[in-house]
Amino acid sequence: MAEQATVAAEVHQTSTGIENTKLAMWVFLGSECLLFGALISVFLLYRNHALGGARLHDVYDIPFTSVSSFVLLMSSLTMVLALAAIQRGDQHRLRTWLLATALLGMTFISGQIYEFTIFVHKGFTVHSSVAGASFFILTSFHGAHVTVGILMLLSLYGMSARGMLPQERSTAVEYIGLYWHFVDIVWIVIFTLVYLIPAPK
Amino acid sequence: MAAGGNVATKDTHAHPNEKIYIKVALWLGAITAAEIAISYIKMPDPAKIVALVFLSVIKFAAVVGYFMHLKFDNPALRKPFITGIILAGSVYTIVLLAFTLHSNTPK
Repeated sequence: MAEQATVAAEVHQTSTGIENTKLAMWVFLGSECLLFGALISVFLLYRNHALGGARLHDVYDIPFTSVSSFVLLMSSLTMVLALAAIQRGDQHRLRTWLLATALLGMTFISGQIYEFTIFVHKGFTVHSSVAGASFFILTSFHGAHVTVGILMLLSLYGMSARGMLPQERSTAVEYIGLYWHFVDIVWIVIFTLVYLIPAPK
Repeated sequence: MAAGGNVATKDTHAHPNEKIYIKVALWLGAITAAEIAISYIKMPDPAKIVALVFLSVIKFAAVVGYFMHLKFDNPALRKPFITGIILAGSVYTIVLLAFTLHSNTPK
């Protein structure tokens, strides 16, 4: 009861009944849908425009990307477990899950860099065609979002280690968690539309 | 202020416990495996696309609903996000249709 009262006291009083920061986060994520929607649309539009060069479907490695996707998906689980940990005041588990989430994110980024290297060696580059440019811009933007997420997770870890992230400030973990889950759902869409769905012949 | 205080508590709904999060994650893993299997199965492209998009939508909804707590939080929070999704979906579908029907770009 005391914990609930503390959390309720942290909630800002607004006419909408929603914390302004939380509402702003959801509005930001809604606007991000438009950004990624544009990038995904451009890729879908031009994915067959290889101008005689290598096409994505000739170079990609579905089993490898599937493992990367699974890693990112599981990072959403560790993120939500970090939030549950801080909400019950368990700082040790909070740091464990935050670090696990950051490490899973780093694994995903490492996989993306490796994948890009393989693609470039096979002749599918950002300069090779419009398809290449649209693919690398889309996936790099996503990778940049993941990288920003990792930096924020490590900041939270540092704050917790220094005792600057008490249970009353669990909303900070919640908001960064929302961003992290968003990055995950964007990849769910990219994985299906870009990698799994067959390109029109 | 008292009224504001009462309103503010609407935002703090009970979230699922850790067992539910793990169950959801296991389902997400299983759906991902199914997606990969479907991508290798020889079947007509339209059927494959429908199946993959359907599974993708389930994964998307599970993460948003359970991990992002949209299923449990104040329903007003759904509006900005769902508006973004609908706006993006409809605008880019129109753009894709327009470009697909009138495209002269060399392949």
